[in-house]
Amino acid sequence: MLEVLHALLFSTLDAVPALVFAALGAVLSERAGVVFVGLEGMMRVGAFCAAVAALVMPMSLAVGVGMLAGAALAAVHGFLSIRWRSDQVVSGIALNLVALAGGTFLLESLYGPNGTPALPQAARWDVPGLASVPVLGALSGHSAPTYLALVLPFALQALLTRTPLGLRLRAVGDKPHAVATLGLSVAGLRWGAVLGGGLLAGLGGAVLSTCVLGRFEQHTPAGLGFIALAAMVFGRWTPVGAFLAALFFAFGDALRIGLASSAPGLLEVVPQGMLQALPYVLTLALLTLQGQRSSAPAALGVPYEQESR
Amino acid sequence: MSLEDASLDVSEGELLAVVGENGAGKTSLMNVLYGLYQPDAGELSVGGQPVRFKSPRDAIARGIGMVHQHFMLVPTLTVAENVVLGREPTRRGLFDLERAISEVAATCARFGFQLEPRARVDTLTVGSQQKVEIVKALHRGAQVLVLDEPTAVLTPQESDELAQVMRGLVAQGRTVVLISHKLKEVLGVADRVAVMRRGRVVAEVRAAETTVGQLANLMVGEGPRHGTEARAPTSLAGLSPAASRVEAIGAALPEAAVPIPGGQVTTGMSALALMGGVPPGAATERPVPSSEGTGPTGTVALAITGGTPLEASSERAPATSAGEALLEASGLQAVGDNGRPALRGVDLTVRAGEIVGIAGVDGNGQRELAEVVTGLRALTSGSGTLLGGPLAGLTPAKARERGVGHVPEDRLRRAVVKALSVEENVALGRHTRPPFARGPWLDFAGRRERTLALLEAYDVRPPDPTLPLARLSGGNQQKVVVARELDAKPRLLVVVQPTRGLDIGAVAHVQAKLREARAHGAGVLLVSLDLEEVLALSDRVYVLFEGRVTGHFTRPDYDERELGRRMLGAGTGHA
Amino acid sequence: MPERLRQALPSVLSVLLALAVCWSLIALTMTPGTATAAYVEMLWGGIGNWPAWLNGAAATVITRPLGEAAMKAALLTLTGLSVAVAFKVGLFNIGAQGQMILGALAAAVVGAHVSLPAVLHIPAALVAAALAGAAWAGLAALLKLYRGVHEVISTIMLNWVALRLVDNWLVIGPLRGVAEGGQSITGTAEIQATATLPRLLGELSRLNLGFPLALLLAVVVWLWLERTRTGFETRAVGLGAEAARTAGVPVAKRTGVAMALAGAMAGLAGAVLVLGTEGRYPGTLGAPYGFDGIAIALIGNNHPLGAMGAALFFGVLRAGGTRMQLLDVHKSFPELIQGLALLFVAGRMVWLALLRRHEAAASVASVEVPRA
Repeated sequence: MLEVLHALLFSTLDAVPALVFAALGAVLSERAGVVFVGLEGMMRVGAFCAAVAALVMPMSLAVGVGMLAGAALAAVHGFLSIRWRSDQVVSGIALNLVALAGGTFLLESLYGPNGTPALPQAARWDVPGLASVPVLGALSGHSAPTYLALVLPFALQALLTRTPLGLRLRAVGDKPHAVATLGLSVAGLRWGAVLGGGLLAGLGGAVLSTCVLGRFEQHTPAGLGFIALAAMVFGRWTPVGAFLAALFFAFGDALRIGLASSAPGLLEVVPQGMLQALPYVLTLALLTLQGQRSSAPAALGVPYEQESR
Repeated sequence: MSLEDASLDVSEGELLAVVGENGAGKTSLMNVLYGLYQPDAGELSVGGQPVRFKSPRDAIARGIGMVHQHFMLVPTLTVAENVVLGREPTRRGLFDLERAISEVAATCARFGFQLEPRARVDTLTVGSQQKVEIVKALHRGAQVLVLDEPTAVLTPQESDELAQVMRGLVAQGRTVVLISHKLKEVLGVADRVAVMRRGRVVAEVRAAETTVGQLANLMVGEGPRHGTEARAPTSLAGLSPAASRVEAIGAALPEAAVPIPGGQVTTGMSALALMGGVPPGAATERPVPSSEGTGPTGTVALAITGGTPLEASSERAPATSAGEALLEASGLQAVGDNGRPALRGVDLTVRAGEIVGIAGVDGNGQRELAEVVTGLRALTSGSGTLLGGPLAGLTPAKARERGVGHVPEDRLRRAVVKALSVEENVALGRHTRPPFARGPWLDFAGRRERTLALLEAYDVRPPDPTLPLARLSGGNQQKVVVARELDAKPRLLVVVQPTRGLDIGAVAHVQAKLREARAHGAGVLLVSLDLEEVLALSDRVYVLFEGRVTGHFTRPDYDERELGRRMLGAGTGHA
Repeated sequence: MPERLRQALPSVLSVLLALAVCWSLIALTMTPGTATAAYVEMLWGGIGNWPAWLNGAAATVITRPLGEAAMKAALLTLTGLSVAVAFKVGLFNIGAQGQMILGALAAAVVGAHVSLPAVLHIPAALVAAALAGAAWAGLAALLKLYRGVHEVISTIMLNWVALRLVDNWLVIGPLRGVAEGGQSITGTAEIQATATLPRLLGELSRLNLGFPLALLLAVVVWLWLERTRTGFETRAVGLGAEAARTAGVPVAKRTGVAMALAGAMAGLAGAVLVLGTEGRYPGTLGAPYGFDGIAIALIGNNHPLGAMGAALFFGVLRAGGTRMQLLDVHKSFPELIQGLALLFVAGRMVWLALLRRHEAAASVASVEVPRA
């Protein structure tokens, strides 16, 4: 029994970093009031660029390239929604469509229909002394992103709640006009949050292609960006909450995959499709129960205009 | 909103009031002063030095603080966090909440504010939120404090308290600029008054040497002429000129004579001056050209043709004797948006051919009463009959069917859809009946014809039915609303704040139309925060306080003092 | 410049710019000559190879491509209408994809497992699809109206619920089709001949009844919105819900009905795909026509006829995309053009600023969508 749990935890922690980084990116941007529906597209671009870069340069640099690519797409989002006050959902959806079609086009013209060649395996690190401990040992033996994913949510939480910058970011998501009248730049804060979100989204995509999948496929990230949005909502727009939601979703997925190979009979009773739909159903259920008392930032999605109140 | 060649200067330790009608440019002027807008031309100097404010940050650095009409507070943060936002104390790079709390507590103590720094702002009353705003400015070392319509949302008690706060600040050597259109209040607290009209400062007078009537004339832009005083913009009246004369306060603090308390002044500011000049061409860039009363003459002509409202009505005999009861209600109770009881048992009657006014301080249930009668808000208890049907279970559609017309308070939110055309707005709410519809289809020809007729009759400018409503000025939008509601020949008309924010010509026009409706036998339920308007128009007045009727007056027995006492709760055992 | 033309200008310019950018993309990765040749192939693949026909080729060189274009345009028109109708009542329907999936499944089930004469079978399958899509969209409307759940989030979630439940469970499980020999196949069972949408040009092309149906619905929706009482109420709710309520409009009802109608349109798109082209619910629906609908609606300025126009244009491009493969350009290339066009439309304010540089800066509305 403990072995099963160990295996489940291990594969959860192996798979979760991409989801965590993407969800954190969404939290960062949305807490500052900018809707981040383009997350899936930013992940895709990050994944693609990192995979291509990883073929010619060290993995860590390649991940950096992926992050920059995510930020570049986020910059387009920022340009449209902050500079030109376009509808943030429209801009995000457009980026998703562009990234989807553009990724396919570039992939085909560079590598043909089968995706990129397989990438070198990421190095795995053991935590000394932990490997032999039951269950907790699942923490050991992962690649670097997993460890980062275990730390970053708490760092971001601290940034948002314990620093002047975090206070300002939260304020700009709830009441940008208050921030503007204090002589702070609404656009500047939002730009920072969106670019930071883009870097994190790109990191999520890069980790997905270089460490988790080991390649870029035609459909990468196959909806993971939307699960990350669900995790953000489920985690009530807080970094640690989104992290826990991501862990929960990833654990559910690991459980499903585990069951498929070890106990196919059980899946006759509870089909895989139902399990795959579960994160979304749970998020909907949570929102339904929460009702009007949503924890979304008050000014989320509202373009900032100086003259209006 | 725009400014054209506006000039203003304030001395240190002075309380300057800036008055003017809505749209006169008061708020624009202050936003320029605070660095939110950049002037196209002109200059600004602080302490004798010319300055350029590119953002509020520059203004704050030069000791200017602003309390906005709509509070600029982040509701989810605490008082302390709101106050220190943008200049947060840190310890090793982290936000030092404890120090923020003690700093804010110190500022509060120094200026005599009682605020709990740890309280979340959305749990505070409006009055306390305003104090947070003031503390926010003072905490940043504001020497010049600008307050934009600060009493609009306050109870009279809170307003009095604010007046004391302002005088206290002036006594400490700070300079206060108070923007208001409440002339009585202004004269009670200011040293000097600047009057703005159409983007210019047209006069500056010492508060001790003027009267409400004179100020009103200056605001409207006419020299003293017969009758204008009484017809001045609604909100400034309610007071006989003699009573509003201020003796003591204004005289006590001569201009720029207050010494600077030691150690408090950092910038050596002795005066603040703003000289404006906008090139003539700039006027055409205004997004919404005002089309009604484009010149002073136009305004006056309208005011006069409007029928010299006050005089006419005060000579009029009470019309309450006859008429069937259109609305009879007893024990009405309803819950407000905040979830607390807003109506706690209201009895009232409205008959055909009378205007019934509801007087009261803002937030005492007037709005909710109007919403109950128009079907927008459900009753929690009580009963009544409205035009032959029960008041319980009323919906807006049923109310309209029975013959209720409604001129709501919040025009842009409730009365019109800005993005629809003028004719579509004229049809809104009546679009199911001829001449606006034929069966399930809209009748474009009938709609156009009726709209053109109404635009003509109500003097809406420009009279273009296809224009998006947003392109009309506020006064013309309101005329469209009144035209639509009266054209439906309502048996009961519910009007809430019908003249707020309108220029004087439009005010007279709207008020004349209400009287006309009464003359044709309609009953009118008039809710207004402007006591003068209520008294001028109504045949009977109910006073509401905390959701109960605390007074009932019938023309001509209007005792303003007694009314005022009732508005503050006298006669209920609550006050 | 007439007002209507001015309204359409940003969309037209956006599409042109997208075409230009994408041309340079091929030119950079291949050669400018290839780019131009690919565009020409895309054109012939969409509107028919007229030069070949003039040189004596059979009429099918024109009818086949036009038929393909019309079929794609029909799907895009329907999903575009779905998104546009929801916009009119003030909701952002990101869920057309999920509604389409359910509509397609409903049509496939009714088409395969119900036996009726064709005159009844086709309408029955279409109605089933419309109802399925309406129910899925109605769920989002209910959550919005009674629980305050924002429709952008709820429809995104509902998309994935639909996709997972249908593609990863129903279609490979309980509803999996069985071929003649008893072997199971990918997707649901073949629909019966009586449920197949009739081909309008017989063997000349695959053009079927779905195309005129889509065009008809676009006109009907437009007439409904512009000319009827309930359509007017729907627009009023979208532009000012509180004012509409004050005017006596039943806001919740209008919102629910409009959203259900939006879902029905998306459901019909699924039905047209299944009954007209696929013949069953395939393993997976393939192209995300539901998401394309967002692009189509916005490029069409949220106007039913505008959406129809955008759908016709991109129907032609996307049918032509297949022929681009001859030059080693991926067939999804037109989707890139469409995505970029949407991106540029999202920058509508930029266009307006450029167009109005010399005019007074009036208060121009952004893309007319509700705030997320």
